[in-house]
Amino acid sequence: MQETLITTAAGQDCLQGLMRVWFDFERQLGRLPLIQRLDRGELSLAEYRTLLLNLRQQVIEGARWISRCASSFDRHHADLRSVVIQHARDEHRDYELLEADYVAAGGDLAEIQAAPRNIGSEALHAFMMHRAGQPNPIDLVGAMWIIEGLGQKMAGDWAARVEAATGGDGGYTRFMRYHGENDDDHLATLYGLIDRVCQAPEAPQAILRTARVVARLYALQLEEVPCD
Amino acid sequence: MSVYVTRSGHHLPGPAVDNERIEEVLGRVNGKPSRLKARILKANGIRRRHYAIDAEHRTTIGNAEMAARAGEQCLAAAGLGRRDLGLLSVATSQGDLVLPGFGSQVQAALGLGDVELHTSHGICSSSMMALKTAFLSLAAGEHRRALVVASELASRLFKASRFEAAGAEPDFDAEFLRWMLSDGAGALLLEAAPRGRCLRIDWIRGYSHADAYPLCMSVGQAPDGRTWQDFATYAEAEAAGALLLRQDVRLLDNIVKLGVDGLLRLIDEGRVAVDEVDHLLCHYSSHHFRGRIAEMLTQAGAMIPEEKWYTNLYERGNTGCASLFIMLDEFLRTREPRPGERILCMVPESGRFNTAYMQLTVVDA
Repeated sequence: MQETLITTAAGQDCLQGLMRVWFDFERQLGRLPLIQRLDRGELSLAEYRTLLLNLRQQVIEGARWISRCASSFDRHHADLRSVVIQHARDEHRDYELLEADYVAAGGDLAEIQAAPRNIGSEALHAFMMHRAGQPNPIDLVGAMWIIEGLGQKMAGDWAARVEAATGGDGGYTRFMRYHGENDDDHLATLYGLIDRVCQAPEAPQAILRTARVVARLYALQLEEVPCD
Repeated sequence: MSVYVTRSGHHLPGPAVDNERIEEVLGRVNGKPSRLKARILKANGIRRRHYAIDAEHRTTIGNAEMAARAGEQCLAAAGLGRRDLGLLSVATSQGDLVLPGFGSQVQAALGLGDVELHTSHGICSSSMMALKTAFLSLAAGEHRRALVVASELASRLFKASRFEAAGAEPDFDAEFLRWMLSDGAGALLLEAAPRGRCLRIDWIRGYSHADAYPLCMSVGQAPDGRTWQDFATYAEAEAAGALLLRQDVRLLDNIVKLGVDGLLRLIDEGRVAVDEVDHLLCHYSSHHFRGRIAEMLTQAGAMIPEEKWYTNLYERGNTGCASLFIMLDEFLRTREPRPGERILCMVPESGRFNTAYMQLTVVDA
């Protein structure tokens, strides 16, 4: 049986809040026509390509906000900075995998590289870059919770559904699956961060608020993916 | 005004049927033994159950009649007569008749005069909805006593002939519940005053998520999406598989998350303090889910120690909406909880994801 990885009471309360934000985020996703098509096994390959095309900008920008976030931690938060730098290093080029999937799924590389951010990506990116520029942005643990959780959901659920619906053999879902491979490590790191940052009394509320905003804006990004 | 569960009762039809004998009763589809049975039974952990049909597929006792027997047990235990009730509130997933509401048939079987009637229709959580209606009616002062009965006769859906009528060999989703569900009824007597050692209902709360999740357990929809009433004849609907009970097993894991989500909400609202829960009665459909729920509660730091969990799923079967009442009845008869102890009940339903919770406190009149 899985042991609890959180050791402090404040961290535990924060984790319960984060789990609820996550469950609510999953319900937001479940109301989107695109995700409903995915759940029902009706997603077409063209729709999958459109999904990748709309995810790409945020994936690229994700590497930027996390790098900026690292530079915003002062010397009293050097341990946090180390963790965030490691995270940025792990993932800052994963958009290349996404682009390769797009091409393997029959898409044109020039097209995905030229695609603008959709309205939701625009809002998400603006919010993340703004928060990452604040001094000691510990609330971004809430953003990491949502994005890490989504990575797991893609790896554990979406990739298989995409393949089942489109008759794929794993050749164009590598980006989605990639996020499953380092799951346990990233999750353990995240739990460690929650315990660490919740030592500050105002931290849990800030983390939960940022998690809620990121969940809402991420859902908006997916809502803005055109779906036939 | 406080409301109390003062007595309970149950009815499990016929002798207990062990795993080896299930197919003797339900029958072999096209004369062949099931290839999925052993695997599904291993996952759900159920060892014995009861059926209201015999090996010739004759119904030995109807659903309304089972409900009536469970209800009579409650009244007899309290020494009450049929005129002492104000409200009859019942639940089932499938009555003996499509119409009228199941409650009318149960009322007639019980011979209750002049009661107010409520029927709650759904799957596992329908009993909690029926219970909540009775709880609120008493709390509002509308009635002094209510009988709440939940009863299921699922086995009729699982006769081999049903699967044969639907054509090809049953798929996993259509066969899954055949090795899971069985028959039985449970009843609770609710009163506005305590009676000896009994249970005060602290609250009942449900959270439904049908807007955000697809259908997960259903009867009435063919794989092509048409519903049973859309066909020219019922024979065509049956041939198209619209009348089989299906479970979309890919979606089942969501019930674990939603079950935990509801509990975390209740903790947040101050209704539940996990370290003050003395007994947890959770209607999980299958042993597999017990582990998954425990895992996620542990992760959330909201685990209720396993020694506080009580269930009779493995010996009495999964009787859908009747399960929790049958569980509570046996718990009260065999565990004799002490005054002041808190009992948390949890019914996560996978139909289209409705989760219901209740807290009871043991009191002495």
